This record gives sequence, C-alpha cells and structure tokens, in this order.
Amino acid sequence: MNIAPNIDKPGNSNRLLLSGNHAVSWGAKLARPDVAPVYPITPQTPILERIAEFKRDGELDGELLTPESEHSAMSACIAASLTGGRVFTATSSQGLLLMHELLHYAAGARAAIVMVNVNRTPASPWGFWPDQLDSLAQRDTGWVQLYSETPQESLDSVIQAFRVAESLRIPTMISHDAFYVSHAVEPVEVPSQSLVDGYLPPYEPELRLDTEKGQSFGAPIDQATWNRSRREMAEAMSQVQDKVTEAGQAWGDLTGRSYGPLEHYRTEDAETVIVTMGSMCGTVREAVDALRDQGEAVGLLKVRLFRPLPVADLRSALAGVPRVMVLDRNYSPGMGGILHQELTSALYGLDKAPAVHGLLAGVGGVNVPASKIKQLVADYRDAEPSATSQWVE
Amino acid sequence: MREIVILGRGGQGAQTAGNQLARAYFDEGQYVQTFATYGGARRGTPVTSSLRVDEKPIRLRCNIEEASAMLCFDDSLLDETFLRGVEEGTTVVVNSRQPKEAFADLGNYTFVPVDGLDIAQKNDLGKVVNSALLGAFVAALDEPGIETMCEVIEQTAPAKQQQNIAACREAYQQIRDAN
Repeated sequence: MNIAPNIDKPGNSNRLLLSGNHAVSWGAKLARPDVAPVYPITPQTPILERIAEFKRDGELDGELLTPESEHSAMSACIAASLTGGRVFTATSSQGLLLMHELLHYAAGARAAIVMVNVNRTPASPWGFWPDQLDSLAQRDTGWVQLYSETPQESLDSVIQAFRVAESLRIPTMISHDAFYVSHAVEPVEVPSQSLVDGYLPPYEPELRLDTEKGQSFGAPIDQATWNRSRREMAEAMSQVQDKVTEAGQAWGDLTGRSYGPLEHYRTEDAETVIVTMGSMCGTVREAVDALRDQGEAVGLLKVRLFRPLPVADLRSALAGVPRVMVLDRNYSPGMGGILHQELTSALYGLDKAPAVHGLLAGVGGVNVPASKIKQLVADYRDAEPSATSQWVE
Repeated sequence: MREIVILGRGGQGAQTAGNQLARAYFDEGQYVQTFATYGGARRGTPVTSSLRVDEKPIRLRCNIEEASAMLCFDDSLLDETFLRGVEEGTTVVVNSRQPKEAFADLGNYTFVPVDGLDIAQKNDLGKVVNSALLGAFVAALDEPGIETMCEVIEQTAPAKQQQNIAACREAYQQIRDAN
C-alpha cells in the first residue's frame, strides 16, 4: 500500500510517511539511474514495486529491466555500469546469495553499481527475519558495505553511495534490516531533485564499453596482471573511508543530516562501549540513555561502514575503554559473530586494548528490546572475556 | 510513547489498518513508526502490525512487548498468548459479535467488542472490516480525531472510499453511544 502522496513540493525537502524500502526507492529515483535491473524477493520487493511505479508515472527516465533471476539482474548491472551508466539494484538474502559469483566480477571489473540489500535470514530453514549473515557473507567480494539504522539513513545513504562508488569505481552495497527498517513506516525527509542534482555529479568514467571502439575488458590475463588488479582494488579501497566521510559531511551541509564511517553516541568516559550495526543501534541508544540516567557510563559505537572496516579509527576509539560488548545479529557456524571477529582482529596488539565480549544477540531476527541490552550490560560488567562469541538469548 | 498492536490474520487488512492509523497520527503532527511482522507470509496465518506514536523521533527498533492498546481483527485469535504482550488494564478493541462479558476470563483489560462484519456488510463492503474497526478504535482511544481518520481513509482506501468512511463513522458512533 502506498500511503504517501506522490508529490515533490518546492523547497529543499518534503516530509513523507515512508517505509524504509520506499525511502530507498525515492533515494534511487532522485539519483537518476540510467539503468535499474531488478528481481523481486521478500522483503525487498516494495523497493522494486515503487521504482516500477515511478517508471510508469514518467518520473524515472532510466531503463527498468526485469530479467529472470538475481544472477541475470547483476549481470545486467555490470554490463550497464561498464558502458558508463549509473546503475541501481536491490535484493535480499537468497537473491544476494545467487548473485555471489557476480559480486566478485562486479568488483573486479570496477563496476560502480549501487545496490541495496534487505538483511534477511538465508535458508534453510526458510524465514523472513532480520539477520545480517546474507550481506556479511559477501564481505570478501570487494564491495563497499554500509549498514543503515533507519529509513531516513537508507534514503540518504543510497544517494551518498553513488558519490562514493562512482568516484572510486567500487560497487557499493547498503544493507538495512528486514522489517525493523525495511517495513518500518516513518516520517522521512525527501530532498528535492535540485538538491540531489547539485550533490551528485554525472557519472563519467574514463574507460567504458563503446561499440565505436574495439577494446577488450575482462580478458584472460597472466598471474601478475591478476595480482595487479587486486593491488589496484586495494588502493581504491584505501580511499573509501575518506570518501565516505566527505560524502556524509557534504550531505550534512545540504540537509543537516551528517554521516560518517563510525558514529559515537555518548561514548565520552564510557566504561562500556556497545558496538553494533544496523537497526539495533536505535534500541541501543534507548538503553544507553536509560543507563546514563542511572549513572552508568555506557555508550554506543555504531559501525556504519563495515567494508572497508575503519581499523585505525576503531583502534583510537576503543583504546583505553575498559569494556566492549559487540552485538552480532549474525552467526558464522564454527566461528561466531562476524563483527566480533573483525573487531578483535582490528584491535590486535593495541596498547590499552579493551576486554571484548562478543554476544550473539538477535540471530535469526530474535527480538532484542532495550531491557535485554540493559541486562547484558549488567551481566557482562564483571565477566571474563572469551575469545569466542556467546549466545545470549 | 504509545505502543499499539493490531492483530489479525493474513489478508484481513491489519497491516493496511496499521499504516492508515499511523498516517492519521502523522497528519496530526506526531512522530510514528509502524511495521508488520507475519509468520507464514500467507493468507490466514496470524499477523501483527505494530505502531509507536510519540512527540519526539522514535529510535526503538524492536518488537512491542507491552502494548498500551490493541486492535484485534478476529476474536478467535484473542487468547492469553497474544494478550501477554498487552499491558494490563488497557483497551482491547475486538472484531466480534459477542458481548464484552464473553472476554472477561481473558484478563484485566477493557474489552470493546464491535461487530465489524455487520457494519461492513451494511455499508456494501463485504468482509472488508478495517475501516469499521478503525472507527471503533479511535472512538475507544479518543485519538486520533475521527475527521483525520476519515480523511486518511478517503485518501488511501483503494476503492469504495465513501462506503469506507461511512463504515468508519458508524462504528465510531456505535462505540461512542455505548460508552
């Protein structure tokens, strides 16, 4: 059901009541993509549906492709991007997993695609619940990964992601949690088209597929050339964090909503810092405020940019903090929480390193209310840290 | 912050009602957050739509554990399991032909039964009960305003706008007259 009036009032923004998914559709439309290959899957489908409505109503000039699978959708994204088009797509869970082979290809081919993934449990068993394993399992494919907490952040991040992806020619994925963000209907500030046009320059890659020019892309190469391609990706990846910072600040200058790779919420003098990603950050903020009111020094460190992981900033943020609690809404069988693993690795050898507790909270979409987070802070205040993640439901 | 849960079966319109109720509060200047969860993603299985309403932006991203009001689309769903998530003493509006005494054993709540099917049928809406139930609900809660609710229904009902508004007003009046 579309309950927002489909209007773009004058001025720099327009407050609409939108779901997280429809906020994404608005962000994508405002970025003026040339091509949007899409395939439906619960709980992503409303993104696709709204984009199709924009196309039907003549509000989207770009080409909407509806191929027969997510694998084909991503193939079309790569080809469209390499011809120099601005490309958007969206998927979730099984759809993202079906794309896996081509996620590597897109990154290696330096296709500046922007994709939204709705975090949902992978089968089996079948489910529709918020869990970040689907996108975290793509962490080695060479895509930039951002995690969004709110519908507003999802809209804003889609537009910023084009600025990041296209300037460095790295595909960029924004993930938001099923239901708590994707289907949460909230007031969302929709910026004007002129604001977005001013923020987002046209995509003009130096190299592109052109039927007028005979060139070979992605041809078989020797070992050293493959090795060089990864070094070039590493060089581009090393610039992502600064670019995400720049894109988030420039967006803030225009809209009043700034974003960065990490966000510190009441971490000053914190004895316990909770580190997590996505929708759970909102609930943690409520728990932090309640605990601060009781005199307990607790803060939140929100990881918005997961890939590349902002290692140096994480080290400086957490040096000297007595305790860190990582809340992982994902589980890697045989290993544990993926953010826990990444964070402990990032903090390796740090002087005054915190005690790190890795907690598997909300795996499979299990509810994690603020009361549970407060209880965890109490439970782990004096606990010995373990190298392995702990189940806390 | 008010936390409202709408309980129904897939296909009955609980999610639509949640969105319409959210829109009415939003139009009255409130911050809202509504989301639906469904077990089997198919018709007939229990679905809940959750709605938070506040004067300031809403940050919580978790289920409602202690609702301050409930709207139930189907009295066969109303049992201790679902009522465990409803704060004691609060209002539970339920689509039912039974009198409120029939629910007394379920606990210390203010049950407000309304025959949504009867009102829907009288207004040429067949089995589509959401507008009638919303009318009863805003009467029982005394918010959001009935005029705001009817405007939202007019703008968002996919068909038969005037019949939906009439059903909403009839249920509203019925609850007002009975209390």
